Amino acid sequence: MRTDAAQAGAIPEELIEPSLTVGKVTPGSLDDQVLAFPETKPPKQWYVGLAITLTALFIGLGFIGYTFVTGIGAWGNNSPVFWAFDIINFVFWVGIGHAGTLISAILFLFRKRWRNAIARFAEAMTIFAVMCAVIFPLIHVGRPWLAFWLFPYPNERALWTNFRSPLLWDVFAVNTYFSVSLMFWYLGLIPDIASMRDRTTSKLRKVVYTALALGWRGAASHWQHYEKAYLLLAGLATGLVLSVHSVVSFDFATSVVPGWHMTIFPPYFVAGAIFAGFAMVVMVLVVVRETMQLQNLITLRHLDVMNKVILSMSCIMGYSYLMEGFTAWYSMNEYLHHGFMNIITGTYGWAGWITISCNILIPQILWFKKARASYFWMILVAIGVTIGMWFERFVIIVISLHQDYLPSAWRIYKPTMTDFGILLGTFGLFFTLVLLFARVLPVIATTEVKAILPDAQPSHHGDDHHA
Amino acid sequence: MPETSYAVLGVFETPDALMKAIPKARASQLGTVEAYTPYPIHGIDEALGLRKSPLGGMVLVMGILGALTAFGFQYWISAVDYPIITGGKAVGSWEAFIPIMFEVTVLFATFTAGLGMLLLLNRLPFFGHPVLSSKAITGITRDRYALALEAENEAFDAAAAARILQEAGATEVEILPAPDRSPFLTSDYILRVAGGIFTACLGAGLVMYFAIKLFPVLAPMKYMQDQPRLNAQKPSSFFKDGHGMQRPVAGTVARGHLPTATGTQDESAALVNPLPRTKEIFAVGRQAYKNRCEVCHGAVGDGMGSLTAAYGAKPANLHAQQFRDYPDGKIYWAIVNGKNAMPSHAADLSEPQRWAVVHYVRALQRAQNAKDEDLKVVAP
Repeated sequence: MRTDAAQAGAIPEELIEPSLTVGKVTPGSLDDQVLAFPETKPPKQWYVGLAITLTALFIGLGFIGYTFVTGIGAWGNNSPVFWAFDIINFVFWVGIGHAGTLISAILFLFRKRWRNAIARFAEAMTIFAVMCAVIFPLIHVGRPWLAFWLFPYPNERALWTNFRSPLLWDVFAVNTYFSVSLMFWYLGLIPDIASMRDRTTSKLRKVVYTALALGWRGAASHWQHYEKAYLLLAGLATGLVLSVHSVVSFDFATSVVPGWHMTIFPPYFVAGAIFAGFAMVVMVLVVVRETMQLQNLITLRHLDVMNKVILSMSCIMGYSYLMEGFTAWYSMNEYLHHGFMNIITGTYGWAGWITISCNILIPQILWFKKARASYFWMILVAIGVTIGMWFERFVIIVISLHQDYLPSAWRIYKPTMTDFGILLGTFGLFFTLVLLFARVLPVIATTEVKAILPDAQPSHHGDDHHA
Repeated sequence: MPETSYAVLGVFETPDALMKAIPKARASQLGTVEAYTPYPIHGIDEALGLRKSPLGGMVLVMGILGALTAFGFQYWISAVDYPIITGGKAVGSWEAFIPIMFEVTVLFATFTAGLGMLLLLNRLPFFGHPVLSSKAITGITRDRYALALEAENEAFDAAAAARILQEAGATEVEILPAPDRSPFLTSDYILRVAGGIFTACLGAGLVMYFAIKLFPVLAPMKYMQDQPRLNAQKPSSFFKDGHGMQRPVAGTVARGHLPTATGTQDESAALVNPLPRTKEIFAVGRQAYKNRCEVCHGAVGDGMGSLTAAYGAKPANLHAQQFRDYPDGKIYWAIVNGKNAMPSHAADLSEPQRWAVVHYVRALQRAQNAKDEDLKVVAP
């Protein structure tokens, strides 16, 4: 295709996309590099990492167990701050997941071929993040073993769910999001698992991969349907990823709490989710790139483009914060005004300033090309954005709730050890799953990368039927 | 039957070589031409003459079905089966149904695209395809491009097909044997599958029973029910006297129990019973008398109740001349305020119940001291 265009002179040289890999990469060498990880023993650092993440996970499980035994009074939630860490963490984790779907679906529709190398990892992170997210509403209902009451099914209580409640929309949105992400991820994995099935020498692996690959044999007639399905799923997931965080924002926006009841919330939440998700993807990919020696596949160019996305999202967030302030001022509503002043000067003003500096100020360094190529700066920004986006949800939820219309109801919120313990536990779960994923499944979508390697496509495929 | 072969597979090194070989293989007309590649190759659909994938239409239909299902379900629940007004909206207002309609549309469409592609169009999972057990498969899922001439009928000429592929530039040619077609749906197999399904259902049922009926009542799940609380008939360490049930605070007046008979008993003599003497009123009075008075005053009001012996008390015999001469107001006063050992029944009996009891006591008195003229027939 490339040589075609260059020969015809239709596309100027500078517009031709440079190769997406560094050095000589062939389909065979790609398999040997990426698919070999599950067949080799993990290095020592991997075990150390797993020990750390498992410790965090078990601390979290301990605190969840404590919550079950004592009830959610073990948390810092009070009246009027009925929603606190549980919903903050839920929104935070669902948001982290959005980058994966954006990379795998939206960038696929836009034919951004650089996404192929990072899509698999980002999709996996989506699934793990949603798994972390659903823990919080589940344990917040108090009796999670009865959480199936959230679903509308004919029951002996003769009750139905309320379809006008955004919380029920959330149940549908998050479940759909998880199912679709899983389907998308699995479909992408099938040809890769088939590759692993055909190269492994271990009997056990052979059985597992054979079952998971569903007998995939790479027939052209299968690829045709497969590509169509992938395109359709990308289109569906694109709509979905925009809807999920919009629905999450409806939990707030449809209420009348000052600071929540705003029409900017859905786009603002979606942008924030992509922002936080990309930061997490950059953070994890830098570690993966270095420890797994994938520098030739996940290139500095990939990181550069992702940092540009972070920068642009940071600007959208800055606009949203300004717009919040403008709305508070222009509405001339004293409650809204009070709520906004609380963010910058109130008891929790420090949280507001952490949000603004981590999300708006620090990422501005990415305007410099050197910073976009420097691990130090991109990790700093990524950690900053992760912290900043967590505090943004803290600001939205706790600051808005702790002082609303009635001064006699105002109360300060203080999280407990249990709150922090469960948050730590979900980080443990997330990174445990990331570590396990990195060792048992192909971390890079080899099939998709093979298709964009130089000479991967027939050079004159048009000639056959024109001649 | 080793002599029948399923297909001949030729392996090519580059996609270019594969694409060049396709027209030659198709022109030979020896069998169905199929390519096996590690990733999708641009333009191969046209070269092989594949029909357009019908997946788009399937997804569209199922997506619309998803939207209609979600709308119908929500409308039926919210407006027909369980209508509850929320936020002042009409029960059938459809705007709030849109988010879930969207989600269900995407869900239906996604499963149609994913499972429809795998199960319906590609007929997967299928582990018995001859290509999977070929030598070439390790290359096909790695970096080799294979072209197959697949048998359409018994007259398949494998040798000719192999020659064609070799001439087209295949580096290796492999003849694939036909898959084992011995029947597998034997009665033994069906029995085992049915047994497996039955066992799985039984297991699932037991798990569901445990999850729904037993699990929620185990510790710590039942702690929610086991919270400390006062039970009326149980002891409690919360109060000094150790009783769970406490008397109401002195002067407590329940709704409908206003003590109209204040002051002394003599002052209340002037009160007039406001209730008419009807059958219904007597029934109410009789019930209230049985509940509250009978234990001491006895079923006929003679002061020989069942509690009398236990306490050694002497409740009033309501048939004594003294009480027969009482005006209604004085009896009423005694009910409200109590007298001697008798406690107040103001908290137990409502205003109409008290007056009904007064009527009933009057009836008891008259019944025990009947006169001759009481025997005359009142109504025919």
